[in-house]
Amino acid sequence: MAGPKPKPKERTKALAPRASRGGRRGGRGGAGKSGERRSHGPHLPNKLRRELESLAPARDRGSDSDDEDDVVGEDVYEYEEGVPEEEARKNDRYDAVKTYEYDFDSDGSNADEDVPSDEGEDMEEDDDGDDDEEKQIRILKETTGMPREAFDGGKKKKQQQAQELPLQPGGGPVTIHDLMDDIQDKPGYSKIRKRVQQQEKKPMVVQAPMPKVKRDLLDRAATYKVHRHDISKWEGLVKSNREATTLYFENDLDLGQSTVGAIASKFEPRSTFEKQMAEVLRSTEIMEAHKNDGAKILELNKVDVEDVRERQNRLAKMRSLLFRHEMKAKRVKKIKSRTYHRLLKKDKRKASSADLEADPEAAEESAMKQEFKRAEERMTLKHKNNSKWAKRILKRGLSVQDEGTRDAITAQLQRHALLTRKMNSIKNDSSSSDESSDDDDEDDDGSNFEAKLLNKGKEKIRKVVEEDNAIPKSGVFSLPFMERAMKKRADATYEETRLDYEELEQSLRKLEDGNTEENVDSIKVTGKRTFGPVKRTHAEANKRPKLGDADSNSDSGYDSDCGQHFDSSEENKKADYANNKADDVQLGTALLDDEQQNDLFISFDDARKSPRTKTEIEVGILADNSWKKVKSSKANGDHNKKESKNKSKVQIPSAVDPNAQQLHNSDSDPEEEMVDGFLTIPDEKENYKLPSQADLIRQAFAADDVEAEFENDKLEALNEENPEPEEPALVPGWGQWTDIQQKKGLPSWMVKEHEDAKRKREEALKRRKDAKLKNVIISEHVDKKAEKLLATNLPFPYTSKDVYENSIRMPLGPDFNPAISLSALNRPAIVKKPGVVIKPIQYEEINPHEKPDEPRRVIQRAKPNPSLKKTSAKQAKRTTSHPRN
Amino acid sequence: MVVATAGSVPQAPDALHTETLAMMHAIDMANRQGISRIVPATDFPPRSGTLVFEGEQLSRMGIAKEEDPMGIKNHQDAVEVMEMKVAKFSRGKAANLANLRDKKLKGQLTGKEKLIGLSAKAAAQTEKWFLPIEGGYLEPEGFEKTYRYDQQSIVQEVDISSSKKPFDMILPVLGPYTFEYTSNGRYMIVGGRKGHIAMMDMLNMDLIKEFQVRETVRDVAFLHNDQLFAVAQKKYPYIYNRHGTEIHCLKEHGKALKLQFLEKHFLLASINSFGQLHYQDMSTGEMIANYRTGLGRTDVMRVNPYNAVIGLGHAGGKVTMWKPTSVKPLVTMLCHNGPVTAVAFDRGGHLMATAGVDRKIKIWDMRKYEVVHSYPARAQSLDFSQKGLLAGSNGSLVEIYRDCGGQDYKLYMKHRMVKGYQVGKVLFRPYEDICGIGHSMGLSAILVPGSGEANFDTFVDNPVETAKQRREKEVQALLSKLQPETIMLNPNMIGSVRQPKKKEKKTKKEIEEEIEDAVDAAKNTRVKKKTKGRSKPSKRAKKMEEVVLRAKRPLLDQYKEIEGQPDKKQRVGEKTELPKALQRFAKKGQS
Repeated sequence: MAGPKPKPKERTKALAPRASRGGRRGGRGGAGKSGERRSHGPHLPNKLRRELESLAPARDRGSDSDDEDDVVGEDVYEYEEGVPEEEARKNDRYDAVKTYEYDFDSDGSNADEDVPSDEGEDMEEDDDGDDDEEKQIRILKETTGMPREAFDGGKKKKQQQAQELPLQPGGGPVTIHDLMDDIQDKPGYSKIRKRVQQQEKKPMVVQAPMPKVKRDLLDRAATYKVHRHDISKWEGLVKSNREATTLYFENDLDLGQSTVGAIASKFEPRSTFEKQMAEVLRSTEIMEAHKNDGAKILELNKVDVEDVRERQNRLAKMRSLLFRHEMKAKRVKKIKSRTYHRLLKKDKRKASSADLEADPEAAEESAMKQEFKRAEERMTLKHKNNSKWAKRILKRGLSVQDEGTRDAITAQLQRHALLTRKMNSIKNDSSSSDESSDDDDEDDDGSNFEAKLLNKGKEKIRKVVEEDNAIPKSGVFSLPFMERAMKKRADATYEETRLDYEELEQSLRKLEDGNTEENVDSIKVTGKRTFGPVKRTHAEANKRPKLGDADSNSDSGYDSDCGQHFDSSEENKKADYANNKADDVQLGTALLDDEQQNDLFISFDDARKSPRTKTEIEVGILADNSWKKVKSSKANGDHNKKESKNKSKVQIPSAVDPNAQQLHNSDSDPEEEMVDGFLTIPDEKENYKLPSQADLIRQAFAADDVEAEFENDKLEALNEENPEPEEPALVPGWGQWTDIQQKKGLPSWMVKEHEDAKRKREEALKRRKDAKLKNVIISEHVDKKAEKLLATNLPFPYTSKDVYENSIRMPLGPDFNPAISLSALNRPAIVKKPGVVIKPIQYEEINPHEKPDEPRRVIQRAKPNPSLKKTSAKQAKRTTSHPRN
Repeated sequence: MVVATAGSVPQAPDALHTETLAMMHAIDMANRQGISRIVPATDFPPRSGTLVFEGEQLSRMGIAKEEDPMGIKNHQDAVEVMEMKVAKFSRGKAANLANLRDKKLKGQLTGKEKLIGLSAKAAAQTEKWFLPIEGGYLEPEGFEKTYRYDQQSIVQEVDISSSKKPFDMILPVLGPYTFEYTSNGRYMIVGGRKGHIAMMDMLNMDLIKEFQVRETVRDVAFLHNDQLFAVAQKKYPYIYNRHGTEIHCLKEHGKALKLQFLEKHFLLASINSFGQLHYQDMSTGEMIANYRTGLGRTDVMRVNPYNAVIGLGHAGGKVTMWKPTSVKPLVTMLCHNGPVTAVAFDRGGHLMATAGVDRKIKIWDMRKYEVVHSYPARAQSLDFSQKGLLAGSNGSLVEIYRDCGGQDYKLYMKHRMVKGYQVGKVLFRPYEDICGIGHSMGLSAILVPGSGEANFDTFVDNPVETAKQRREKEVQALLSKLQPETIMLNPNMIGSVRQPKKKEKKTKKEIEEEIEDAVDAAKNTRVKKKTKGRSKPSKRAKKMEEVVLRAKRPLLDQYKEIEGQPDKKQRVGEKTELPKALQRFAKKGQS
């Protein structure tokens, strides 16, 4: 092209002074504007610079002419060719113009239109170039003296070339009319002409478009104006959500059809395979076949209705029976009561025994079993206090044990006795053949029978003793040591038998004596045997003969160990007890705990029934015979008084008779000293005395100087909680070098510190709660364990302590609140079922000023509300997020 | 005279009906006696504190009632009463929410206040409609004095069921008797000094169990219900069950003189002969506390029902208040100029009555720790009833005082036991107009109209509860058991903001701030210009560094005390494997 051609020359010219300037600058050495210059590239010495310029002028040739001079000169080698703004299309200015022109264009000859504008610019450029060229030509003309044409040729040529390009050679810019001339005879010309004319009549001024920033600003402002209301409509919703004490998140559930059938009915065959399948399945043959088959099956099913019903009934009955049985078993199994099980067992046993009576074989079998058990029992003596447990208990003494243990021991012994006794009875049964005749007449008289039994035993023993005397005179037994051993054994057995014999005799004698005591004992044999301190009575003394009595038939070695245990400890007391047997009898009954209680019940019942103004109720005082005595002795005296007393105020207890008093004293030697305090022995209440001298003195002088004491205490407490500051003192030897130092006294800072501490203490004392209460000490001690029940600082949303503490004044529990407010007071901030996804907020109409009593329910629809525009939902996403999210 | 007793525990479910019947009966009786005017209890507007009035007041009110037309004023009264009740149940006013700036909080608090209002209203209505039974009272006529009425005349006036309640039980042998009621007033445990223990159902007057422990019995106490009770015996306290079976022996308590059970906390407290106070948890068996009072032997001990603080009366005239988590007494008060013989606390917990050897009964305000009134009288034992009557025993005389407004207690009733009987203990029976008396010759009970709470809440205490209810309640009580540390003088403190502590240690942040300040101050000090090269920049910089370091040092020491030396430790722990691509950049030492 012709344009850039002259430029190199011009450039070199322009460069020369620039380079020299740069050289000068380099000489000055980095001062002044060097800052900006440095950043562009390495600093080169002048020589190099010049060299470079001389070497590479061509490189600069490309630099564009539009750049201002100084900019061009700045960088020598780091130049980048800039793209003109129009070409880069950095902003839309030029585009806008283009589009505007585009509007005119109807035929689509875009390229043509661009030409003139380009041309225009080029023309301007060329004008500049022309000026320069003119100058140049003039200079050349002057220097060479040659005509102007010689130099001007190139340009002319170029102009000609340029003139050849446009369609019209006539000069001046190409107008739309020029273009239109060419298409005059084309179809649609008139239309275009009309439009062009119109356009010309009303010329339109096109203003430069605004910068993008501004445009955007305006855009936003407009958008804001439009959407301001859209946003503010959310306010109510958000506010109510924020202020709601509880938010429920619930899904808008649309259950729809979820059965298999419903889904299957919608099935449409899609793939070829499915279609084929469907075709086959729905074919008439198949359907027919299916129908027929089904009918057949149904035919088979035909059963008589009656049969079915019967069967069902039977089944139901069986099932219910089974179920009931099962339930019963379950319930029975669950019962933990020992008594119940015992009774159950007993019943079972009874049933089995009933069976036994019916079935002789079974009876025999059971008898064998029993026999075996008995033998076992005899061998092991399992229930004869041989177990570790029983031994331990006996060792510790039964009197120390509690009631339960004693009962257990008794039960065990009883069991043992039972086993052995049973043996007798059965043995009698089994071996009744020889004695049956005797037994029959013995049955009617028990005592007689016993006596006979005893006599028999005696005779047997005698026989054994007589038999045993024979000693074999040959064999191993004739050896001397064996003989000795045998003799020893014989002696022992003899001794034993003798004892047994005596015992038997004794019991026989007793039998003859009378039945009174025997009765008491017999009751005990059958009834519960009790041990322990309550039993340390005469009953115990009777025990041995009684036991021997019971066991005499079985074997002599058997005796009650536990009985002996008690006996040894109680032996010395026997004498005492012996003389008041009558009491013991009473006690025996008292032990059973029945009569006493009944008595009481009656008295209370009386009290209830008869609406007396004053009811006299005597709490039966236990198995204390002394009390009994008092009562009995009082009884007759009281009874005649009672009628009169019903009206009078209070019953005055008659003086306790001396006998009771004595008894009372005798049996309560440990209780004598236990009664201390002012209300000692009720018998002496007339001459009521203060307890003891020491106590009296203590009481008398306790109040001697209480106040002073208290003051001291308080001072101590104060000092403990707010200790007094230490007196200031120097370390010995320090600050005492000279008299002057000594005279000065303590350093001022020390004194000051002390004063401060003192002041602080006084303030602290003044602040105490008991500062003004002379007779009160209130501990200021902080309880660390209780500290954790207090809040360390104000919880978050609260800003004032008052408000916070007022807000927790109401208890929240069900004891203090009715059901209506209870759940509301304790509801969490968000209630949501597990699995519910909290969705972005959706718009709904809400009155923000309305305060509903119900908690807020946020119902999340599967789809946004159809009545709402989509835009608003979008807007919501953009502008507000959910308050709780 | 008009006598009305309340708290006649209804046996039938329709309490109201039986009550009215009973009242009708009382009226009938009064008519027959030729008593001029009868004021049925329900005519009075219910007043929370004092349902029982003195003669003059009462008559004035009665007349006023008669003159009133049954119209607007009645309605107004009802509204007023309702308002009062609502105010009572809303537990103080709400804080001023208008000043709150946080709108969210404000909204939430307003909602809450609304709910509280609802609760209070519902409670008030419940009180009005479901607790209709009024307390009883004695009303004198003319110059009569209430304390001149003897038991016989009172018993004649009251209904049959009430007339059955007083009794005298003469048990001369087993020594002075002490006793205790369950919290619902149904059962009584009796302890004779010489080992007689008996448990009675007071509703049916049935003996449930009695037995002899054959040692000294000093005190008895029920545990949480009638199933268990503790007995302070010769050497140790024991726990027995209802059937008299020994359950536990509490050896750690030693020779206990007095037992008290803290119901809400399941704690059994005892004071032993060495003046040691023990607390043992009865649900876990754990020994909670064991403190030496250091004030000598005493058997004056009472629990403040309001805050479960235990009050002990000592020989030095002091009364001390204890809780299980404090070694020292919370409060020590000098109450008397001689040994304290009895202490009792009002149900509200704000009143305490003490009696001393110095022949004084004093009423104390426990909020101010000041004497409200002091009366010249002796008392071996004191007890406040549920309705605030105060009973005191002196020798064989039992006196009952009543609050005549302003905590001024006047003699209300007098009951003289047979001469020579020494009254050891007086105790009001809960939910009944009965005062039990344990004396040297047994037990007695007298009618004291107006002493018991007439309406019982079955969720709190149910005198007619079934076994199932009892069991449920036991479980509930165990679930809502309070920990021992919740015992404090003012239980409302729980949850409130605690007082700022005295500064003990600075936090890390504070120290850092201080260091910053110190460094700034040190840097800002101007350094003197010095001659001969001593003000060279290098020297000045060095000096500055030194100054800063000096300012920092003491604070750094504090910092170390708190933190130790965290930096180095952290570095040790920080060793981590670098990704392979970066390993070549790591220092050789790190590998």
